[in-house]
Amino acid sequence: MAKETDDRTQRRGGWVPYGLLSPGVVWLALFFLVPLLTLVRVSLSTQESRFEQKFSFTWEFKNYSDVLSEFGDIFLRSFGYAGIATVLCIAIGYPMAYFIAFRGGRYRNLLLGLVVVPFFTSYLVRTIAWVSIMGDEGPFLDLIRALALDGALDGIGITDNGRLLATEWAVIGGLTYNFLPFMVLPIYVSLEKIDVALVEAAKDLYSGAARSFRKVTLPMSLPGVFAGTLLTFIPASGDFINAEFLGGPKNTMIGNVVQQQFLVQNRYTSAAAISLILMVIITAGVLVYAKVLGTEDLT
Amino acid sequence: MTAAVIQRRAAPRWLRRLGSWTLNLVAIGGFVYLFAPIFVTVLYSFNKPRGKFNLVWQEFTLDNWADPFAQADLTDAFVKSLQIAAIATVIATIIGTLMALALSRYRFMGSPIVNLLLILPLTTPEIVMGASLLNLFVDPPLFGNSVDRGFRTILIAHILFCVSFVALTVKARVRGFDWSLEDAAMDLGARPRRVFFRVTLPLITPGVLAAALLSFSLSIDDYIITLFVRGSVETFPLFLAGAIERGISPQINVLASMVLIVSVGLLLAGTAFGRREGRVTPPS
Amino acid sequence: MRRNLSRRQFIGRGAAFAGAVALGPTILAACGGDDDDDAAGGSGGGGGNSLHVDNWPLYLDEESAALFEEQTGISLTYTTVVNDNNEYFATIQPSLSSGDKVDADIFVLTGWMAKRLIDLGWVDELPIADVPNAKNLVDSLVNPAWDPTGKFSLPWQSGLTGIAYNRAATGRELMSVEDLFDPEFRGKIGFLLEMNDSLGLVLRADGVDPENVTFEQAGPAFDRVEAAVADGQIRQFTGNDYQDDLIAGNFVACVSWSGDVGQLALDEPDLAFVIPDEGGMIWSDTMLMPKGTENIEAVAEWMNFCYDPVNAARIAAYVGFLSPVQGVQEELRKSEDTAALADSEVMFPPPTADVLAFNPNLDEEERALFDDRWAEITTG
Repeated sequence: MAKETDDRTQRRGGWVPYGLLSPGVVWLALFFLVPLLTLVRVSLSTQESRFEQKFSFTWEFKNYSDVLSEFGDIFLRSFGYAGIATVLCIAIGYPMAYFIAFRGGRYRNLLLGLVVVPFFTSYLVRTIAWVSIMGDEGPFLDLIRALALDGALDGIGITDNGRLLATEWAVIGGLTYNFLPFMVLPIYVSLEKIDVALVEAAKDLYSGAARSFRKVTLPMSLPGVFAGTLLTFIPASGDFINAEFLGGPKNTMIGNVVQQQFLVQNRYTSAAAISLILMVIITAGVLVYAKVLGTEDLT
Repeated sequence: MTAAVIQRRAAPRWLRRLGSWTLNLVAIGGFVYLFAPIFVTVLYSFNKPRGKFNLVWQEFTLDNWADPFAQADLTDAFVKSLQIAAIATVIATIIGTLMALALSRYRFMGSPIVNLLLILPLTTPEIVMGASLLNLFVDPPLFGNSVDRGFRTILIAHILFCVSFVALTVKARVRGFDWSLEDAAMDLGARPRRVFFRVTLPLITPGVLAAALLSFSLSIDDYIITLFVRGSVETFPLFLAGAIERGISPQINVLASMVLIVSVGLLLAGTAFGRREGRVTPPS
Repeated sequence: MRRNLSRRQFIGRGAAFAGAVALGPTILAACGGDDDDDAAGGSGGGGGNSLHVDNWPLYLDEESAALFEEQTGISLTYTTVVNDNNEYFATIQPSLSSGDKVDADIFVLTGWMAKRLIDLGWVDELPIADVPNAKNLVDSLVNPAWDPTGKFSLPWQSGLTGIAYNRAATGRELMSVEDLFDPEFRGKIGFLLEMNDSLGLVLRADGVDPENVTFEQAGPAFDRVEAAVADGQIRQFTGNDYQDDLIAGNFVACVSWSGDVGQLALDEPDLAFVIPDEGGMIWSDTMLMPKGTENIEAVAEWMNFCYDPVNAARIAAYVGFLSPVQGVQEELRKSEDTAALADSEVMFPPPTADVLAFNPNLDEEERALFDDRWAEITTG
């Protein structure tokens, strides 16, 4: 519907739209496309010296296969963590968005603001706070021990011998936390557009809140879920902060590997190859996901 | 939607209530979850640590708030981050808004490509973006030498990822506008410049402000991309990373809390302002 | 109806104007030959009026920095951006490998990295002739393994690597590297990310000499660490933040550096530092002058200042590591606050202390083997 309005009142502007676009397009082309191409070139080069930084372009596809065999498991692990975190974000975020949209009433905007406000502190400050909270002698484990749940948590594999830091669930917890607002906001936006009268009518027709939800509300909120999933899964896969501070050597993610290869080992060719593989997988995933959900355009 | 009506018995009342309460519980739990580390951060700003690290609660004190700028290098890094964020926001907002206007107001050849170009950076993990920018600066094509990494390169990087966010945010707000309002204003005798300032600008301002705010917070919090292109410049997030290693002073908590307070203040102000403006375009 | 400017023209011009406003300053800034804002002191010019030093964190107290500026009139830009040898190397590599200058006039890196830079020709000879106080260098550090001619580097601080542990948590005194592998402490042990230190200790426990170790000889030690990671004995590899974990009770014991624990123990008396029975490691962070530095006079003044025993004592008292300057111990004794430090074994280890350095003579290929194997272990 919005599209029709656009078409009807949009105009051809001659050179004007191109003029308006040019600063942005130039900037993006120069600082996004060109580096990407450079990255591709490096990923296909051989590095002659780590210290001296000499490359020769040799169509070295072997870089890619080397990287996959060396770090294939870490790739999978990263997508696994990001995937679980995304699912958790939906599980927690959808109810939150629903609550704000349909139960928020006058306080909607305030609640929405409250969702975003925690993220005005720095990412790292929040992560340090989690290190504090999840520490061996921190409040979370104290509570668990007080409730005598520590055995249970060990049993299902969340904690490792009574500790939470340096385990995969600490990393997943951190990821979930950091991307929760990115899930809540898009879902809220799509829920908010739903006409309440429609929902009421559906409730009458389907005689039940649950069914009307499934048949009406849920499908209409899918674009929001889609957007939220993208905004969560994509950055989560490449994240390395949570793994660095909350995880141990067995919980590293592909982001840590790239950082290490670039900044510590100076292995630029493999770092480039890893980065591109990551990007290709994610973009492919996004396109497939879009097809499956049937959303027309990505915006 | 089909016209067929399916007659089934509604779920029992108690089940519906349970479902409802579970929803509320999860939602509220979510808010608690969101605020847990914030609470800890603010709380520890009142802590008096025994040693270098503000990680274990010792005793309550107001000293830190009395002297928040005690740590010179922390304050320097913080100021640097503010500078970068301010400049990057202004530039990215201008560039992004222009793009958004072009894309929503005009029909022209190549608009799908531009859309794609806008979205690509968002689908790129930060680490890939940082890494490829580093690569660009280290080994620029057509240039002989590498580009020195520092303030300028950080700025370039921040503007880069902010432009996409700004453009998409403004575009989303501006979508569905009835541009013929402008024609109407012109028909009523207004000159183009007046039309722009009295009709167009007020319409797009909320979107632009929101985008600017978003851009500012993205820039000030950026760690990953900045880490790659920073050379030897220290920004607030980078300082924090180092602080975790060498000593987390309570001043960090104080500064973070201050940022929180200011942001909340801006948010409340923004909400009040937005409500006063009211709606000009009929809801689509 | 007349329109002075057609709407299209207005929008078009307005946009062009806005675009120019946006891009203008950026382009100017990018094209400008001027240096970035971050080098506040400015490193150009041969005059000795400014100095830019890149160092590790917590290696200089504010008083000494202020005193230096006062006494010499040189404006000091001191940044603590060296957090890791390899990471810092990555930041200077592009410039130095293509023959460009870097912003810093002096940077401080650990011995083995200094050797690499000296071999690559990326550092200039120090103006030792203009540093009369250089004669105060302790004998053990004259012409060190990483700088045999002694012309390119002047040590800043040295340190020991050993084991830090929480007495209350372990219930006993720890004496040996084997204690780090004790199953009783599973999941509560930390190792340093710095390979030279962590691997070095394990090599010593295995009876291998780290000063001349080859990749093959290091094999069993690598395997041992890898096994400890796999079965959860080693919880995490950390940088300096092992201190966080020690205090928070996440680690019971870990590989650590002498000066840190000395500081921590002042507040947290349960923490102790020990050089293991099998022997510990010793390392030095040393000052280097990057190739192309022009502020040579300022560099000489700085080094002279730091090698004056009075200044060196003040710095040592703050830092808590081993000072490379003779006469510091006596200086510390003179003042009441610092007299206790003069007797500290951590700051002035007895000559009988069994500590060795890590092999600084590994060439690029062999070092790459070490680095890659270590990366494998630390990132799983």
